[in-house]
Amino acid sequence: MKLRPSVDVAPGRSPRQAIPFLLPALVVLAALVLYPLVFSLIRSFFDATGDEFVGLRNYVDTFTDPRTLTAFRNNVIWVVVAPAAVTGIGLILAVLTERIRWATAFRLVLFMPMAISLFASGIIFRLVYEETPNQGVVNAVLVGVHDMFSPSSQYPGARPREGYTPTEAGFIADAPARAGDTITLPLVGFSPQDVPAQALPASVPAAGNGEVRGVVWLDVSVGGSAGKVDPIERGLPGIAVEAVRDGQVVARTTTGDDGRFTFPDLASGEVAVRLPSSNFALPFRGLTWLGPSLITPVIISSWIWIMTGFAITFIAAGLSAIPRDALEAARVDGATEWQVFRRVTIPLLSPVLLVVFVTLVINVLKIFELVFVIAPGSVQSEANVLALQMWQVSFGTGGDQGAGSALAVILFLLVAPAMLFNIRRFRRERS
Amino acid sequence: MTAVALRDVSLVHPGGTVAVNDVSLSVADGEFVVLLGPSGCGKSSILRMVAGLQRPTSGQVFLDGVPADDVPARSRGVSMVFQDFALYPHLTVADNIGFPLDVAKRPRDERAERIAEVAEAFGIGDLLDRRPAELSGGQRQRAAMARAIVRGPRVLLMDEPLSNLDAVLRSGLRAEIAGLARSLGLTVLYVTHDQIEAQTMADRIAVLRNGVLEDEGRPDEVYRHPATMHVAAFLGSPRMSLFKAYVQVVVDSHVELHIGGQAIDLPWPDMRARAVAHYDGEDIAVGARTEALRPAAPGSSGPVLKGQVRHLEHHGHETLVSVDVGAWGVEPCGLHELRTGELVLRVRPDVRPVHGEHVGVHLCLEQLHFFDLANGRRIGPRGRRR
Amino acid sequence: MTLVAEEVRIEVPVSGAPKRGVLSRVAARLGNGAIQLLLALVAVFWLVPVFGLLIASLRDESANTATGWWTVFTKPAELTLANYAELVANQAVWQSFLNTFYIAVPATVLVVVMASLASYALSWIEFPGRETLTVVVVGLLVMPIQVALIPVAKLFGAFGLFGTITGVVLFHVAFGLPFAIFLLRNFFAGIPRDLIEAARMDGATEWVIFKRVVLPVAKPAIASLTIFQFLWVWNDMLVALVFADQDSAPITVALRAQLRQFGTNIDLLATGAFLSMIVPLAVFLVFQKYFVQGVLAGSTK
Ligand SMILES: Nc1ncnc2c1ncn2[C@@H]1O[C@H](COP(=O)(O)OP(=O)(O)OP(=O)(O)O)[C@@H](O)[C@H]1O
Ligand SMILES: [Mg+2]
Repeated sequence: MKLRPSVDVAPGRSPRQAIPFLLPALVVLAALVLYPLVFSLIRSFFDATGDEFVGLRNYVDTFTDPRTLTAFRNNVIWVVVAPAAVTGIGLILAVLTERIRWATAFRLVLFMPMAISLFASGIIFRLVYEETPNQGVVNAVLVGVHDMFSPSSQYPGARPREGYTPTEAGFIADAPARAGDTITLPLVGFSPQDVPAQALPASVPAAGNGEVRGVVWLDVSVGGSAGKVDPIERGLPGIAVEAVRDGQVVARTTTGDDGRFTFPDLASGEVAVRLPSSNFALPFRGLTWLGPSLITPVIISSWIWIMTGFAITFIAAGLSAIPRDALEAARVDGATEWQVFRRVTIPLLSPVLLVVFVTLVINVLKIFELVFVIAPGSVQSEANVLALQMWQVSFGTGGDQGAGSALAVILFLLVAPAMLFNIRRFRRERS
Repeated sequence: MTAVALRDVSLVHPGGTVAVNDVSLSVADGEFVVLLGPSGCGKSSILRMVAGLQRPTSGQVFLDGVPADDVPARSRGVSMVFQDFALYPHLTVADNIGFPLDVAKRPRDERAERIAEVAEAFGIGDLLDRRPAELSGGQRQRAAMARAIVRGPRVLLMDEPLSNLDAVLRSGLRAEIAGLARSLGLTVLYVTHDQIEAQTMADRIAVLRNGVLEDEGRPDEVYRHPATMHVAAFLGSPRMSLFKAYVQVVVDSHVELHIGGQAIDLPWPDMRARAVAHYDGEDIAVGARTEALRPAAPGSSGPVLKGQVRHLEHHGHETLVSVDVGAWGVEPCGLHELRTGELVLRVRPDVRPVHGEHVGVHLCLEQLHFFDLANGRRIGPRGRRR
Repeated sequence: MTLVAEEVRIEVPVSGAPKRGVLSRVAARLGNGAIQLLLALVAVFWLVPVFGLLIASLRDESANTATGWWTVFTKPAELTLANYAELVANQAVWQSFLNTFYIAVPATVLVVVMASLASYALSWIEFPGRETLTVVVVGLLVMPIQVALIPVAKLFGAFGLFGTITGVVLFHVAFGLPFAIFLLRNFFAGIPRDLIEAARMDGATEWVIFKRVVLPVAKPAIASLTIFQFLWVWNDMLVALVFADQDSAPITVALRAQLRQFGTNIDLLATGAFLSMIVPLAVFLVFQKYFVQGVLAGSTK
C-alpha cells in the first residue's frame, strides 16, 4: 500500500469553519498583544520623543542609571529569596496539613490573600509595619516584648538643669561632694503630668553628719524659680543615684517619694554624684520597617503572605497525586518516614515543585503594586523594581517612552525562559 | 437495495498506521451486518467512515448508491451508538433523545410524541427525567439507542454497544437489540469483537483482521467454511485446534497427512484431497473443532490419533479434554509460530478421563479444515459462495 | 479516629529496629497536637493583618492616630461605621467603586465569550496551523503587560479610547485571553471525542455543538475562568493606572492619592481597601472551589 496518510478531517468539515470562532480573539490578541510587542521592541531604539533613532542608547542608559540598577539589584534579591522561601514554606505546610483534619479550612485561610487585590494587601501591610507602635502592630509587639525584658525608664528624656556632664553611664556632677554636703538636683525636660502619683512635695534635706544628702526634683513649675525648690514642685521618686570615686561606684541609693536621697557612711574623701542613664532612657520605639534598609524584606514578607496559600494548595494537589503504593512500598522496604519523604515523596513531587517555583519567579519579576503601595514615597527609590521603574520612567515622573520601552523589552527577555519552559511543558503533556 | 456500500476503502492514519486496507463491503436495506474482529483491526475506523466522521484515504463510501464523499455526518441520515454511549451528561434522558429533533428544528408536539414513542419501545418511559449519571449501564445503553433511532435514520451504526455491560445484561440485550432492529426494519452495521454476539445477532458477518476483510457471509457459513485460519480460530468456542501436518501423496489412492509421527489418510474421492495434494512434500495446517473429534472406541477403525490426556476443563454440562497427540500446533494470529498442538475433545460430564491417560481420538474427516501455512487461506475447492 | 491511626502508622517501625528518622523523631516529640497548634498559629498569623485592617476601618481618624487597632478589645465602643458612610457619601470614591464593576463585568464577559469560541476551534476544528497557534497562546501566558503599555496607550490615544472605561476593558480582555484560552482549551480537549461526534451524528452544526454540548459540559471550567478573570480585573491597579482617567478610575487607583500621608489617612485607606476587598472576599468565600481551581490551572499567569 503506498497511500499517503490522510489528515484527520471529516467530510463536509473545512478549516474555514474555524474562522468565526477564532476571529474575535485573534484580532484582539494581534492588536493589543502581538503588535505592541513588536512596537515596543522598535520603540526601544528611539529617543524619548520617538523621533530620533538612537540605537542601543536606551539600553546603555538603562544599565548605567543608578535607579534602574537598584531596581535590578532588588529584582535579583526578590528572585533569589522570595520564590524559594514560598516554595519551602509551602512544602512544609502542605506536608503538615496532610496530618490534620481541618486541612481544607487551613488552606482556605492561607489562600484568601490570593483573592484580594495587591493594592489592598499593600495597605494591609503598610498598616502592619507602620512605624509608630500605636499604629503598626509589629512594632507594638516588638516594644511590648522589649519592655518586658528591659522595662523602660520612668523619666525618659529628663536631664539635670546644669552642672552635670552627660556621659555614657549617666549624668555626672561637675563639682565633687564630700560627707556633710547637701546636693540639690533639679531636673528638667519632663512633663509634670507624667510624674508618678505617689510623689510628694520636694524639700531640701538638712546636712547630715558623715553623710551626703540631697534631693532630686522636677524643677518645672509656673512662676517657680530655676534651681530652687518651689513649694508646688514635687520630688521625683525612684531615681537611682550613685556615688562615684575614681570611676568606681562606691555607693548606690534610690530617691524616696519626696525626692530625697542619702549616702550614709561615706568615708572621707571626695565623690562625684552620678545619675545613671537608665533613669532617663528613651523608650524603645521598634524598628523603622518602612525605612530604606528594611523596605525590601518587608515587601517580600507581604508577598510571602500572599503567595504561600497558592504554593500549599498546588503542592498539596501534587502530594495527593503521589501513588499511595509507592509510599507504602518504601515503608514495607523498611524506610523511615524521613527516608520516605526524602527518597520517594520529594523526587515524585519535584516536577510540581518546579512548576510552583517557576510560576513564583514569573510573578516576582512582574511585582509592581506591592512596592508601589507599601514603600512610602521617600524610600520608593530604595525599594524600586523593574516593573515599577518601567512605569515611572514612561508614565510617572520620567515621561521617557524610549527608555520605558527598553525596560519593557528587558522585562520580556527576563520572562522569556519561563515562556519556553511553559511551551516545553505543554508540548510534553500533549505527547 | 444496498443502503451502505464501501468500495476499495482504505484508511491510513497520520502516523502511518494502516487502519483499513482496501475493504469492500455492502449492507442491504434492512440487513443486520456485524463487523467482527479483534481489538485494533479497524472496525471502528470503518464505522467512522460510514458515519462521515472520517474521510477515507482512498476508496469511496456509498449511501443508497450515491457517493457520500462530501456529505457531512449530520446530513447523512446515519446515526450511531457509541461504545461509551456518549450521552450528553447535562441533559435529561428526554432531552438526550430529543436532541437530534431539536437540532433538526422539529415542532414541539412532534418532538414530545416521538420521545415518548421511542422511549416506550426501549422500556425507558419512566426514566425520562433522569440524568445519564443516574442510570444503570443497561439503561444508558437503551437511552443511547433511543437517541440514535429517534430521527428515523437510514442506517444505524453501533460500535461495541454492549462491551461496557456485564455478562448477564449483555446476553439479554443481544436478543433485544436484534429483535428491535428487525421489528423496526432498521439497517444496522454493528461492530463487535465478541463472536457470540456476531453469531447470534447477525444476518451477515464480516470478519476483519489488521484492516483487511478476511471473510464475509452468513454466520453459519462463515463458521462452517472459514476463509482463513484466522477466521477459523476467531469463531467458535472452544477455539479450533490447529496443528501442522506433512502432506504425502500416494498416487491414485489417498493423501497421507503426517501428524507428529502418526498419519491419517485423506481418501482421493474427498473433493479436498486434490487441493491438498498440491502441497505434496510440504506442511499445511489442519484445523479441527470439537465437533470433528470424539474419543475412539477401543479397536475401532478409521482415522484415529493416539495421545495422552494433558488437561481437563469441567464445565458442568460437559468436559473439555485436551489430548496431546504429538502434533506441532499452529498459532494463527501471530507469526504462525509453532508450538505443541493439542486436540480438544468435548465429552459428557460422566465420562471421567484421567490426567495422563492414553486415549485415541477419532477424527471426522469431512469436518477437518485445511489451510495454507504461508498465507493462512483455506485449501479446498473454491467458490463456497460468491 | 483516622488521625490516631495515622499517628500509629508513623510511630511504629515497620521492620526490625530501624534508626528513626528526623521527621519521625520530631513527629514523636511534637505529636499531632503540636502540629495542630503550629498550624493554628500560622492561620492566626494570616488572619491578623486582615483583621487589623477591618478594625482600623471601623475606627475614626482620631482613634486610629492615637492608638493601635488592637486596643479595640478594651474599648469596643470606639467601633463605628462612620468611615464607610463617609466613603460612600464621597462622590468620587463611590464612582470609582462603580467603575470597578463597569470595568470588571464586561472584561470578564468578553474574555469568557471570546476564549470559549477560540478554544472550541483550537480543540475541535481541524485547521492548518492549529498546533502553532496553540503554542503561541501558551507562550503568551507569561507575557508581561509592561510590554504593551506604551504602544497600546498610543493606539488608544489615536482611537480616543485613552482614559475611557472601554480602553481599560479592552486591555484587560487582551491580556486575559491567553490564560482563558489555555484553561478552556485544556478542558474542551478533555471532553470525550464520542460526545462531540455523537452530536455531529445527531445533526448538529459546529455552532450547535459548541453552544449546546461543549458549553454546558464545560460549565465548571467556565465558572472557574469567570471567577478568576473577574477577580483579576477587579484587583488590577497597573492597567487602570495607565489607561484610566479620573472619571474612569477604579477604586484602587482612586485611593492611591491618599497613600502620601498614610499615617493620618489610615481610616480612609483602611475603609477604602476593605470596601474594595468586600466583593472579592464574598466571591472567594462563595465560589472558593472554582477560584482555587482557576488559580491552579492558570498558575502560569
Ligand atoms: N487517530 C488515530 N491516529 C493514529 N492511529 C489510529 C487513530 N485511530 C485509530 N488508529 C489505529 O488504527 C487501528 C484501527 O483502529 P480502530 O479504532 O478502527 O480499531 P478497532 O477495531 O475499533 O479496535 P477496538 O476493538 O479496540 O475498538 C489501530 O491500530 C489504531 O491504533
Ligand atoms: Mg473500536
